[in-house]
Amino acid sequence: MSNLANGIESVHGAAAAMSADVRERADPALVRADRVEQLYSQLPLGLAVTVVIGVIAAIELHEGRLIEPVLFWAGLLAVVVVLHGLLYLGYRNDAHRSAHTAQWLRWLGIGAFAAGAVWGVAAAVFFPSQADERQVFLAFLLAGVISGGIPMYAASWPLFAAYAAAIALPFTYVLATFGNHLFAEIALLIPLFYGVSVAIAYRLNGVFLSGYRLRHAYQRQRVELEEARRQIEASGRKLALFAERSPIAVLELDGEAVVHDVNEAAELLFGYGADELSGASVKRLVLPTYHAEFDREWQRLVASRQPLSATKIRNLRRDGLTVVCEWTVTPLVNREGELVSVIAQGRDVTAQLEAERMKKEFTSTLSHELRTPLTSIIGSLQLINAGVLGEAPKDVMDLTEVAERNSQRLLDIINDILDIEKIDSGKLTLNPQVLRLDDLVREAMVLNKGFGERFKVRFEAKGELTKHEVKADHKRLLQVMTNLLSNAAKFSPEGEVVEITAEEQGPWLRVAVHDRGPGIPEAFRARIFGRFNQADSTTSRQKGGAGLGLAICKRLIEMMRGRIGFQDRDGGGTTFWFELPTHA
Amino acid sequence: MPERALERICYVEDDEDIQRIVRMSLERVGKMKVEVVSDPNLAIGVIARFKPDLVMLDWMMPGMDGPTLFRKMKQQAETATLPVVFITAKATQRDMEELVALGAAGTISKPFSPKDLPDQLRAIWAKLP
Repeated sequence: MSNLANGIESVHGAAAAMSADVRERADPALVRADRVEQLYSQLPLGLAVTVVIGVIAAIELHEGRLIEPVLFWAGLLAVVVVLHGLLYLGYRNDAHRSAHTAQWLRWLGIGAFAAGAVWGVAAAVFFPSQADERQVFLAFLLAGVISGGIPMYAASWPLFAAYAAAIALPFTYVLATFGNHLFAEIALLIPLFYGVSVAIAYRLNGVFLSGYRLRHAYQRQRVELEEARRQIEASGRKLALFAERSPIAVLELDGEAVVHDVNEAAELLFGYGADELSGASVKRLVLPTYHAEFDREWQRLVASRQPLSATKIRNLRRDGLTVVCEWTVTPLVNREGELVSVIAQGRDVTAQLEAERMKKEFTSTLSHELRTPLTSIIGSLQLINAGVLGEAPKDVMDLTEVAERNSQRLLDIINDILDIEKIDSGKLTLNPQVLRLDDLVREAMVLNKGFGERFKVRFEAKGELTKHEVKADHKRLLQVMTNLLSNAAKFSPEGEVVEITAEEQGPWLRVAVHDRGPGIPEAFRARIFGRFNQADSTTSRQKGGAGLGLAICKRLIEMMRGRIGFQDRDGGGTTFWFELPTHA
Repeated sequence: MPERALERICYVEDDEDIQRIVRMSLERVGKMKVEVVSDPNLAIGVIARFKPDLVMLDWMMPGMDGPTLFRKMKQQAETATLPVVFITAKATQRDMEELVALGAAGTISKPFSPKDLPDQLRAIWAKLP
């Protein structure tokens, strides 16, 4: 998805650049490489012309003169030409020339100045010593080589400026110092001619530069557009694959609830082919009895454009069977706020609902079918153990007591499991009433006295129990107290006293059960209020319980807007406490 | 609180084992007179003949459940005013509240303690007008 977004973003970026000056987007390094390439590509032509002009000039200048200066000059020109030739070859053989543009431009600048200087030398040396017509020839020649330099060096005007200056400066000096009035005037015109030439070169340079920049900017844009197109294509393919291979039925609908496209899962779920579903109203997949309701919901969806999620609909399959599907329906709206299409994603939850129903039924059955026989077992044993039926031999009584105790243990576990199930399914409801905390604590102590005696542990209230009231479920709060007291009894050494306090702490009333047990192992502290948790798995066999008690207590106390916790006790043992808000 | 002590109990319950335990509990521990009915369809006739002080109904019974029987009793002149206590293993708090609202005298959840059952019933009896 993010790729698609990126792709669209790049396209927007490219489009935005088009409307601004695209030339700004050209890479300056690439533009410079283009300029250098342009300058070097003209070098062979320039050299050829220089050789031709040089030969003509040498022949013309040596007429009736000493041969040595002419040869010297021609030699200079030849050296410059050869060096330029080498420069050209060096440039062409540099595999990384585009990375070395600054260096190649510098060498060419030096070359241009040297070439200009050779022509300048010709002006300085030969002009004064020639007859009139040869002076005209020389002036014409120099003007020609200056002008010829404009197209040669147009890709870099400073090169031309250096080249032309090397010719014009000596020539101007010679003309100005010749002593001839006309020549002095011409000397004044040469800088003007120079300036105009440089200006033209500068303008041409600008045109070239603009061209290069445009070329690179468009090239760059083309690459980016291509990349964006590729990304969009990939995202599109990915999206198509998501829908195609998804185990969830996906349907694309229009604003009139007409199907436009469906994936394979939808075909499988409803038993229709994509071609059969497309073009028809999606209502054929909805039970006719729900059509009116569907229309209302659909109108609301199209009007509000708010997506629907976890909407359960009874759907009709081709074979006439119905399935319950959970739908997520999302209207797609474009930038202009128009509804483009509606995407409906559905999952068959029939089996899941059936499983939930069966779980509920199972729990209910468990509750009834296990408790009813236990009622008979515990009831019978209690009647025997209470001595209602007369005294039995001691061994028999010992065994019936064992049987009663263990039946009770089994019952406690069943009750805990049922409580957890109720908590999970949100069915645990409380019956809050205003209770005096001291009464409740005393009631719990009386109820659990027998349990304590079994472990040879006494429950004792320490200090004065608060008489303040809480709003809580009486039965459930007793269940919490029973849990804490029985845990304390189970883990206390024989003969110990478990102390119970109930005191006011700010807006809270805090009940605490203090034992002298072995304490809570470090590794167990974090999960003590979790499910099926006991510090030592052998404990459950020795002491009874499924390890659900504290998990249930925590949930119960939280439902009564309180909190529960524990801490180490000074002198050994543990204090388990819960706090409930004081009832005002 | 009724002037005389609680003596005669009619118990409608399909489970024979529980019938026996309840009978033993009420007769031996509570020193009460007990009539047990297994078939809820015959219950109204038995109750009318036995004239108990209080009726105990099981919640879940084949044929007719406790609440249905309770509503039927309400429609019969001989049984309409009798206090009814439900014994149940699965009723939720809400179900119980609903029954009390309908006029049930009380509820006892299974498993109950046969040692304490007579006292539980007497406590409910004591609260009656």
